[in-house]
Amino acid sequence: MEIISALGHGFAVALQPINLMACFFGVFIGTLVGVLPGIGPVSAMALLLPVTLSSSPEAGIIMMAGIYYGSMYGGSTTSILVNIPGEAASVITCLDGHQMAKNGRAGPALGIAAMGSFVAGTFAIIALMLVAPMLASFAIAFGPPEYFSLMVLGLTVLAFLTQGSMAKSLLMACVGVTLGLVGIDQITAAPRLTFDRLELIDGVGLVPVVMGLFGIAEILANIEKSVNREVVASRIGSLWPTAQDWMHSKWAIVRGTILGFFLGVLPGGGAVISSFASYALERKLSKRPEMFGKGAIEGVAGPEAANNSAAGGAFIPLLTLGIPPNVVMALLLGAFIIHGIQPGPLLITQNPGIFWGIVASMYIGNIMLLILNMPLIGIWVQVLKVPYKLLFPLILMFCIVGVFSSGSAVFDVFVMTVFGLVGYLMRKFGYEPAPLVLAFVLGPMVENNMRKSLILSQGDFSIFVERPISLVCLLLAAAMLIMPLLPALRAKREAVALDQE
Amino acid sequence: MWGGLFWLAFGIFIAYQGYDLGLGEAREPGSGFAIFWIGLLMAAFATSIVFGAIKNGSEDIASLWQGTRWAKVLLIIALLLIFGFLFERIGFVICSLVLLLVLMRVVDPVPWPTALIVSFGATFGIWYAMNKLLLIQLPNGWLSPWLG
Repeated sequence: MEIISALGHGFAVALQPINLMACFFGVFIGTLVGVLPGIGPVSAMALLLPVTLSSSPEAGIIMMAGIYYGSMYGGSTTSILVNIPGEAASVITCLDGHQMAKNGRAGPALGIAAMGSFVAGTFAIIALMLVAPMLASFAIAFGPPEYFSLMVLGLTVLAFLTQGSMAKSLLMACVGVTLGLVGIDQITAAPRLTFDRLELIDGVGLVPVVMGLFGIAEILANIEKSVNREVVASRIGSLWPTAQDWMHSKWAIVRGTILGFFLGVLPGGGAVISSFASYALERKLSKRPEMFGKGAIEGVAGPEAANNSAAGGAFIPLLTLGIPPNVVMALLLGAFIIHGIQPGPLLITQNPGIFWGIVASMYIGNIMLLILNMPLIGIWVQVLKVPYKLLFPLILMFCIVGVFSSGSAVFDVFVMTVFGLVGYLMRKFGYEPAPLVLAFVLGPMVENNMRKSLILSQGDFSIFVERPISLVCLLLAAAMLIMPLLPALRAKREAVALDQE
Repeated sequence: MWGGLFWLAFGIFIAYQGYDLGLGEAREPGSGFAIFWIGLLMAAFATSIVFGAIKNGSEDIASLWQGTRWAKVLLIIALLLIFGFLFERIGFVICSLVLLLVLMRVVDPVPWPTALIVSFGATFGIWYAMNKLLLIQLPNGWLSPWLG
């Protein structure tokens, strides 16, 4: 009963005209960046982070959240029609989605992707609404050791699940923590790693780092190879799947939804991993595994449901613990901080309007997305036909303007350029940027909680293993680190990485 | 292997910076405590990458750029740096017009009319949206007398 009245309050917030507009703008931009290859939700959110400054906290955060879950819908369109994923979570949709399009079944592929996404998105919101208040009341008892260990676990899980070498991922996490520690020490007020540059006193900006590593690096990677995009749009036909399509898809959607939600909640998990996991699960359970890769509709329905459900689940650790489980949530944390709001166990009680407003806006956003992605699919097909040679200069321009306006400093444009080059080289040498960015955001929090714990315990490191939650987190993190050293498990992890590639 | 060696040197440098800042003691960790240990961890991971590359053999660096349009990548980086240096002096409008035209005519050519329409439209569109609607000031530079 209490939840229903709180949700009613949330709808009152979300239905205010300005918040409704923010929600529509967010899901529209989200679908657009999902559709456009070369710019993903991370870049778009980093780009629009400064814009949220001039809006109310509710409108800014509702818009940012909309971009994230909106991009999950839009990504499938490009995967199905062009065979190029609009964003990373839709990579796997290319396999069967594009095959369906080539077989003249683009309509049902797009339809099942949108409807699977809607079902999963709605489930994730209901689960978020029920789980978050419970977890928040439980997390009030967390102290610095628990937070430290939980963040260490998050970074380790991300490094473990990232494709390729785990040593490289952990190295990137260390680089990210180091970058996060640049600037004034929060406890002693001493400048650290600033090399006497005034611009670095406040630390390195999140927006230029993210725009460089994701936005500019992506453009550089796309420019070095000339890719021809062929849009299979001549025969989209009816979007409504047939009865047989529903028979094949319904359980895939249910399984993808549940799997995606749990993987989304896990620190270090997220939409990309959940879509791969769902595809692998469906292929394993299918009565017609030989159809996978040749246009099996359940190979579209499962992963698309999973990535949308994961996007909803990912809000739970951020809103209840204040810990972003992935890069996108790290940016959302940035939006909260810009408005002086600290997400965490007290968010629901201290700022109920924001928490329930976000939840309610997600219900509304999901309906908007269904309309944007079903009857209005033609618009996105037209967007896809814009050649990349026209798009990339504009994306580059938006990156520059977004970065400059985030701090009104041209220094940030240089930081973005340097990180763009670094990100490009990282791709070349097989280093993943995601652990770096997450560690960059979590780094100061990890250090702060570690130092507070040690001060509390008078320098006794056993404080981290004396508390049960902290101990469990550290044991899980240790297990993740040891696993790749065991030959059988290493082979399994490498197989997953290869699958992702 | 070269990447690993770079990060090894970087890790040692960071560890030294942490040591220089002061490690403090366990009951009151200093400003450099975390930085020092992170630097050492970085050096350890980099060492394992170097050993891995020696054991398994590493890819030839030149092969990573074989058959790619790497010169265009360098050109974009150079353009961004030049843009950064001139942005505040010359102003957003002139800098972005030139940047967009160069990108659309040199990096990946499109016909002149398209390049001109997109460059002018995007530049003035962004300038208007930022300066007038969002009230985020972009430098006007040489065009200050006309743009206000």
